[in-house]
Amino acid sequence: MSDIDKAPMPEKGIDQTLLGARITKQINIQIANQLNTGILVVDAQLTIIVWNRFLQVHTGKKSENVLEQSIFSVFPELPVRWLSRKLNSVLQLNTPSFCSWEQRHHLFNLPHTRPITTDSDFMAQNCTFLPIVTDTNDSYICILIEDVTDVCHYQTQLKKALAELAKINRIDGLTQIYNRRHWQKSLEQEYAKARRHDKKLSLIMLDLDHFKLFNDNYGHQCGDMVLIEVSALISTLLRVEDIFGRYGGEEFAIILPETDLSGAIELAQRICGRVSALALTYKEQNVKVTASLGVAQLGEQEQSYEALISQADAALYQAKAQGRNKVFSNQCSSTLAVG
Amino acid sequence: MSEFHLTEDQQDCLQELINIAMGQASDQLARYLDSFVYLKVPSIESVDAKELMRTLSEQKNAIAVVSQGFFGHEGIRGEALLVYQEGDSDRIADLLGYEPDDLSKDEQVIDISSILTTTFLNVFAQQIDNQMSYNAPKLLPNVKDNLFEHLQQMPFTWDIALKVNINYQVTDYSFNCNMILLIPEVAITNIKHVLNRILAEF
Amino acid sequence: MSPAVLICDDSNMARKQVLRSLPDEWKGSVQTASNGEDALKILRDNSINVLFLDLTMPGIDGIGVLQGIQTLKLDCSVFVISADIQPEMQNKVKELGAKEFIRKPVQQDILLTHLQQHGLL
Repeated sequence: MSDIDKAPMPEKGIDQTLLGARITKQINIQIANQLNTGILVVDAQLTIIVWNRFLQVHTGKKSENVLEQSIFSVFPELPVRWLSRKLNSVLQLNTPSFCSWEQRHHLFNLPHTRPITTDSDFMAQNCTFLPIVTDTNDSYICILIEDVTDVCHYQTQLKKALAELAKINRIDGLTQIYNRRHWQKSLEQEYAKARRHDKKLSLIMLDLDHFKLFNDNYGHQCGDMVLIEVSALISTLLRVEDIFGRYGGEEFAIILPETDLSGAIELAQRICGRVSALALTYKEQNVKVTASLGVAQLGEQEQSYEALISQADAALYQAKAQGRNKVFSNQCSSTLAVG
Repeated sequence: MSEFHLTEDQQDCLQELINIAMGQASDQLARYLDSFVYLKVPSIESVDAKELMRTLSEQKNAIAVVSQGFFGHEGIRGEALLVYQEGDSDRIADLLGYEPDDLSKDEQVIDISSILTTTFLNVFAQQIDNQMSYNAPKLLPNVKDNLFEHLQQMPFTWDIALKVNINYQVTDYSFNCNMILLIPEVAITNIKHVLNRILAEF
Repeated sequence: MSPAVLICDDSNMARKQVLRSLPDEWKGSVQTASNGEDALKILRDNSINVLFLDLTMPGIDGIGVLQGIQTLKLDCSVFVISADIQPEMQNKVKELGAKEFIRKPVQQDILLTHLQQHGLL
């Protein structure tokens, strides 16, 4: 039962092998104590019999309160059921076992010593549980506790940055809705899904009427404001599964999974009405905005998602041709005025 | 046929060693899991690594892959991949005797993989008078997109892979996964030496 | 007189391993089979005294051979030699009439002890 450096030394003999063994032992002990890794050895009853300086320093506990004590009483933060079962596998199967910070940030509540701000007050750890069998056939487990706070910190930063990048890649900077590339990719997937599972799929294409006039009359900042406000309004009218994107300058598009034509038309009419009712002001002047919408439902004849876009686009053209501020669908052959 | 392919005798010898390892590993597992483990004969194929990469990356329904490096004396080393399909890993927590809320799904898959890999390879190593050490097991992120990438970025080049299909059925639970051992070319030469040494005893 | 021996295992190496462990005077009268079908054919057509039988084989496996021996009411001492060492399997083969269960890899001293115990040496 010992701290590593208080392990009993062979007392007698100037005998060379004994001297050799003694030196090797001293080297091993000093390495163990200078390692920047925690070493904890428990016996088959999970009683602590060895610990190294790293742990003495980082736990701030005294050896007399640690050695010969159960690992669970010394470290009450340990998950008893899970860890007992895990340690049992090491003893019974004589195989090593591991615990990574990626699944469990830390096992032992050891404060970390980093100047950097991290999400946790505790040192992130990779733990290894190694089976040790002595020549007396007694089984022990060596627990190595590696400090991976830095790895954890930088990995977390990297993940955040990558997630941010991925988001930027999908989002239109001005309106904060999906950009055309991501929207089109989503349509391709939804098209495949609808075909595979024989599900309904509808599409709304939307274009702001006389948009050029906002820019010409009030300047581009006004045009941008209109795009932002209309996008925000439409977003509130959609279900979570609908996919809303900016298709071009003032053109928007909405994918409606598992929606038939009448459902899509109903939504398009609501959007048309709400947009025309928007009370926008720019530099204390009222700005009136309306939209034209084309609606299409995926039918038997479309061989690709592009064909569905063409259908909705043609309907949008009709809505424009018939006087704007309207919803149109080729598939129900009548202009659907807004009530 | 490349110099890394096994002769018929070597293949037979390896199959027998793996059968024995698998038998003892199942016995140990059965004791640990306190349940009878029904084991099918593991099928072993040595396959061209590039071919395997293609098949694996086409395996669209793989939901989890856990990889764990192993290394022993005489230059015997490689990487074990445990590949799970949908539904394979639903009841691992029950199987391992954990309470389900003790740990995440990821951790369950990693834990069972590590047990399967190390138990099997330990016994295999004993058969050839060797001893294995292991890296910590890692769950590969987003296998659907990245498996091929991961296989390509492995720290060593390898020409041949031993594909060991393991099918464990545990009395009340059916549990399935594929274990694939990827062996780099130097290690294959070393394994062949060991196999030849064993064959020479007959 | 040395007994007529059949070794049935799908692995060539495993067959050699058993053969090597047999008493020298037996080695002249040993036949081999690499699957259950062949083994049953040899058992039917020859009077085999001792069978060393693997369990896990493609096609008719060791369990199938044991059942065949019972159906054909053959008088033959069977020693199962298998890698599948779980107690359940050991009990099963004994219920099916096997004299002993020997774990792979087969060791000569253990094999010979078993042969002695069953009065074959």
